[in-house]
Amino acid sequence: MRFALGVWLALALGVPALAQPSEDAFALLRRIYQATEKLSYTGTFVTQQGDRVESSRITRYAGPGGEVERIEVLDGTPREVVRTRDTIKCYLPESRTVKVERRVDPRAFPALLPETFADLLRNYEVSRGETARIAGYDCESVVLTPRDDWRYGYQLWADTATGMLLRARTFNAKGETVEQFTFTQLAIGSVPREKLKPRYATRDWRIEQATVVPARLEEQGWRLGPELPGFRKIAEVTRRIGESAAVNQVVYSDGMAALSVFIEPASRRGERVRPGLASVGAVNIYTRQVADHVVTVVGEAPAASVQRLGNTVEYRRLGQ
Amino acid sequence: MKEKISQLMDGELASDDVARVFAALKSDREAIEAWRTYHLISDSLRDTRLVSRGFTERVAARLAEEPVVLAPARWARAARRLPRIAAAAASVMAAVAFVGWSVTALREPGSAAQFAQSPKPAAVVAGIPAPKEAAKEPVRAALPEGARDYLLAHQGYAPRYALQGYARTVSDIAGSRR
Repeated sequence: MRFALGVWLALALGVPALAQPSEDAFALLRRIYQATEKLSYTGTFVTQQGDRVESSRITRYAGPGGEVERIEVLDGTPREVVRTRDTIKCYLPESRTVKVERRVDPRAFPALLPETFADLLRNYEVSRGETARIAGYDCESVVLTPRDDWRYGYQLWADTATGMLLRARTFNAKGETVEQFTFTQLAIGSVPREKLKPRYATRDWRIEQATVVPARLEEQGWRLGPELPGFRKIAEVTRRIGESAAVNQVVYSDGMAALSVFIEPASRRGERVRPGLASVGAVNIYTRQVADHVVTVVGEAPAASVQRLGNTVEYRRLGQ
Repeated sequence: MKEKISQLMDGELASDDVARVFAALKSDREAIEAWRTYHLISDSLRDTRLVSRGFTERVAARLAEEPVVLAPARWARAARRLPRIAAAAASVMAAVAFVGWSVTALREPGSAAQFAQSPKPAAVVAGIPAPKEAAKEPVRAALPEGARDYLLAHQGYAPRYALQGYARTVSDIAGSRR
């Protein structure tokens, strides 16, 4: 609503280029999302984060009985992830561990939500990019240019025929690639269900259940805000991380990127807290200590955004 | 002139015109008004709630009470960069917070927390967007213990991973642990 009003205002007052997404580019973006939900495929993709490169095999089944997606990492330590609509299981054979993440609030999870698109259009300018041939497919592309410096930009390439996403590039304010993923081989079409079974028998493995329950941090004395421009709170939960006791998590999203703020008692962490900023590709991780608690912000956003959100966290003992 | 201002904010104004528009913005009442209105629109589009009419006056009033300039050197640089900065045309409020943040963060890496409670209005003086360099972050740390667990916990929520699966979740960052 507010956005619509904004658009109207902008048009009425003659501010061009602020609010008009290219219809055509937006249609392509929608198509990519839909294809991601509908298609079955199997392929190999390469992810590049900074100077790290890693290849993985992905198999996805969509059909009667739901959707299942399985990713095996082919480089380095073997790892595997199997995702269904409501669970994510991460198999780590080296430590004989399965990490299980169960979704509580379907609203909070990535899906084709109208408000996701509204957020996206508010924060990014959507336009057409150049075409390319990727893994044998002729692709068209869409560019999401951030409207400010609080977020990264994206370029997505999709198969012209099906809308299947073949390559995604994340770029910073200077236009430099901070992260990229691209398929090197892909077969779209029916996938037998047995291909989705994890490779490992996990009978005697350790199972780490991240029991996620909705929470209200304000009632515990936590205050986050003012929020990051363009980001909206999409989830607020208490959960387990690894073998930890309860950890609070608040998630913000701008329609494309997301940032999570984790808050946990410092005493429960086995090691000393190292405050500061670290990064993996496009993800920045910022740690600081607040009132005997460790605050960790994880987000696919520029360092300044992650740090700013982390610095807004305040604690006030209740009853004062 | 209004059209020029709008172009300036979108970073589309020819460099020859930039100086002229800025000169006008110093004295021309109508131009100043247009500049503010356009920023207000741009802010409302971005859902920045903190900016509103009279913002400049309020900041100026607060400044009068607390006239400390934290980083004069940065200032001089910021001023020289004006045209390019204008091209960025980020929301004034974001920019203001940015300057405040970077100054505090660069000077007191250990106590960034302080900023959260008391942004120093002094760093805000003219509300000129911070140069991009100012966004450079301070303390670099090793990846926190269990970074992969945080990533796993985080990624279920990122709209972007609806598109791209969980590639990063399983990334071999365990190697960075100590």
